Amino acid sequence: MRLRNAVPPGEAGERPEKTWVPTRALGRSVLLTGLLLVLGVALGRVDLVLLAAPFAIGAAIGLRRMPTSVPELTIDADEEHLVEGGHVQANVTVSNPDIIPYDLVVVRTRTSRWLKLEHADRPFAITVPSDGWAAVDLPGDALRWGRQEVGPAAARVAACGGLLACRPVVMPPRAVRVYPVTEPFNAIEAMPAAAGLVGNHRSRRMGEGGELAGVRPFAPGDRLRRIDWRVSLRTRDLHVASTLSDRDAEVLLLLDVLGEVGLSGGVAGSASVLDTTVRAAAAIAEHYLQRGDRVSLLEHGATARRLRPATGRRQYLRVLEWLLDVRPDPVEWDTDESVFGVHHVSSDALVMVLSPLIDPRAADMLAHLTQSGRYVVAVDTLPEGAAPAGTGPLSPLATRLWRLERENVLGRLREHGVPVVAWAGAGSLDLVLRDVARMAAAPRG
Amino acid sequence: MIKFVSRSKQVVARATVLPFLVRIGIAVSGLVAVYVAWPLDIASGPYGALLGLSALYPAVAPRGRAATLAALVVVAGWLVDTVGFDARVALWRVLTIATTLYLGHTLTALAAVLPYDAVVNLDVVGTWLARALVVVLISAVLTVVALGLATDLAGDAFLIATLAGLAGAVGATLLLARLIRRA
Repeated sequence: MRLRNAVPPGEAGERPEKTWVPTRALGRSVLLTGLLLVLGVALGRVDLVLLAAPFAIGAAIGLRRMPTSVPELTIDADEEHLVEGGHVQANVTVSNPDIIPYDLVVVRTRTSRWLKLEHADRPFAITVPSDGWAAVDLPGDALRWGRQEVGPAAARVAACGGLLACRPVVMPPRAVRVYPVTEPFNAIEAMPAAAGLVGNHRSRRMGEGGELAGVRPFAPGDRLRRIDWRVSLRTRDLHVASTLSDRDAEVLLLLDVLGEVGLSGGVAGSASVLDTTVRAAAAIAEHYLQRGDRVSLLEHGATARRLRPATGRRQYLRVLEWLLDVRPDPVEWDTDESVFGVHHVSSDALVMVLSPLIDPRAADMLAHLTQSGRYVVAVDTLPEGAAPAGTGPLSPLATRLWRLERENVLGRLREHGVPVVAWAGAGSLDLVLRDVARMAAAPRG
Repeated sequence: MIKFVSRSKQVVARATVLPFLVRIGIAVSGLVAVYVAWPLDIASGPYGALLGLSALYPAVAPRGRAATLAALVVVAGWLVDTVGFDARVALWRVLTIATTLYLGHTLTALAAVLPYDAVVNLDVVGTWLARALVVVLISAVLTVVALGLATDLAGDAFLIATLAGLAGAVGATLLLARLIRRA
C-alpha cells in the first residue's frame, strides 16, 4: 500500500502556507450550529434553534475581526559583564502587530543546562493586547562559563476566542556570554625574560628603574640624582645607587584542548579539565595584564585558535571573550606532527601550558618547546580523582596503571627541565616561576 | 502499563492549578449538560455511568473529537427526552443545556491550546470566561424572549416566525463556513 505524504512536496508557484488556521473548536461550532438548525427546521422545534444560538453568537463575536499578521518573537538577555555564578535576566517578548488582541499565547523556551532560569522548563500562557507586546521574564543564575543559549523559543497563538490559531513561530537561540570566574592568582617572582622597553617587571639588566640593584662607585655618565650621599660621605668617594631597569614581558598561555576529562558541575560543583583551564587562564591573564605585560593565548587542538599578544584592559576583555569559545577540539594527527610551529612562540615569552597531561602529544609538545629554549611552565589541570571512563571489573586496575603511566610522563618532563605544577589558585606558580627565572639567568650553552 | 503509570505520575507532578481548574470546568459543564438533557430514567440507570464518562472525556483529552461527541450525546439525550419520552420543553432546562454546552465547548477550546503544566496569567482565563459569559448572557436573553413568544404565539403565526428565524440562522451558518475558508 502506498501512503500519501503527510506534508505534500513543494511545487513551483505554490501558494504560501497560511499562518492562521481554524481550530477544532471552530469546526465544532459550525457542526453543532448547522446540525441543531437543521433539526430545528425538520422537527419544527424552536428550543433546538436556541441551543444553537450560543455557538452561532460566540462564533460571530469571535470572528467579526480576524488576524492577518504573524506574531513577532524576540529573545533578550543581559548584556552586562556576567560572571558564572551571577544573576542573569532573560526574557521572551511577543509582539502583536494586529488590530485584534491575542487571547492566548503559549511561549515555550529551551535554555542551556548551565542557565538555571526560573520555570524555564514550563510553557507560559499570556495574553497580548492589540498593537502591543507582552514579555515573559526568565530570571535565574548562570552556572558555568561559556556562550550559554537562551532559546530557541516558540510561540503558539490563539485568537478569536480560540477559533483561530497561528502556526508556531520559532525564534533561534540567543547566546548569553558568561565569563569565567577568575580564581585569585598572584605571582611575585620575576619574569624569566623581559622583552620590552617599559613595564612593571625588574629586569636582569641595570638601567633606569625603581628596584635597587646595589651601590657602586660613580662613573662618567651617571646622573647626579643617583648619587647615594650617605655612602659617599661615609666612604669619602662618590657612589651611586644602581637600579634594575623596568621591563615588560610576554606571557603565552597555551591551552591544551585535545580532550575533556571529568564532569563539570558548574561554578559550585566539581571542575572539569576545561573548567580549570579556562578559569586559570583568565586568572593568569588578568594578573599579568594588570602588571602591564603582554599576554597571548594559543590553543593546542585541531583549529589552533590564537589571540595575538597585547596589553591593557582591552586585551583582558578580548581574552575573556576568546576563552568563551574554548571547547574540546580533538585531532587525529600523529605524535610526530605538531599543530603549530615552535617558531610561532616568541623566544622571550614565558609559555604557560595549561594541560591535564594525559595525552602523550601534549607531553611531546612540552618537551619540544623546552628543547627549543622556550621558558615553559606546565600547569597540571587534571582534577583530583579523575579516572578513565568505564566501570568494568578491571577498571580499578586500569585506573592504577593509567595513573602510573601519567606519573611516569610527569617524571620524564621534569627530567627534561619542564617544571610541572598543579593549579591551586593564589601563589601556586611562584616556586615554579622562581626556578624558571633562575634557569633563564644562567648562561645558555 | 508501567509506562502509563509513570507518565501519569509525571503529569500529576507537573500539572499547574489554572489548567487543572479549566479541565474541572469542562467536566462539570459536561456532567450538568448530559444529566439535564437525558431522561432521568436512563441517566439514573446502567447507562448513566457511560453518559458520565462521555461527559468527562473532553476534560482528559480536550484536543481530540471528544468534545464534539460529548455535545452530540447531549443533543441526542435532549431529543430522546422531548421526542421519545414526550417531556415538556422547560425554560430552565433549555437555558441550562445551552449554557453548559457552550461553556464546555469554549473551555475545551481553551484547554486544547493551554498545556497542563503551563504557568498561566490570571487574565488569560479571566478574559476567556468574561467573553463566554457575555455570549451566554445574550443567548439566555434570546432564549427567554423566544420561549416566551412561543408560549404566547402558539400556532401558525409562530411557525412563520420560527421559519424566518431559521432562515436567518442558516444564513449565519453559511457565513461561518465562508469565514472558515478565509481563515
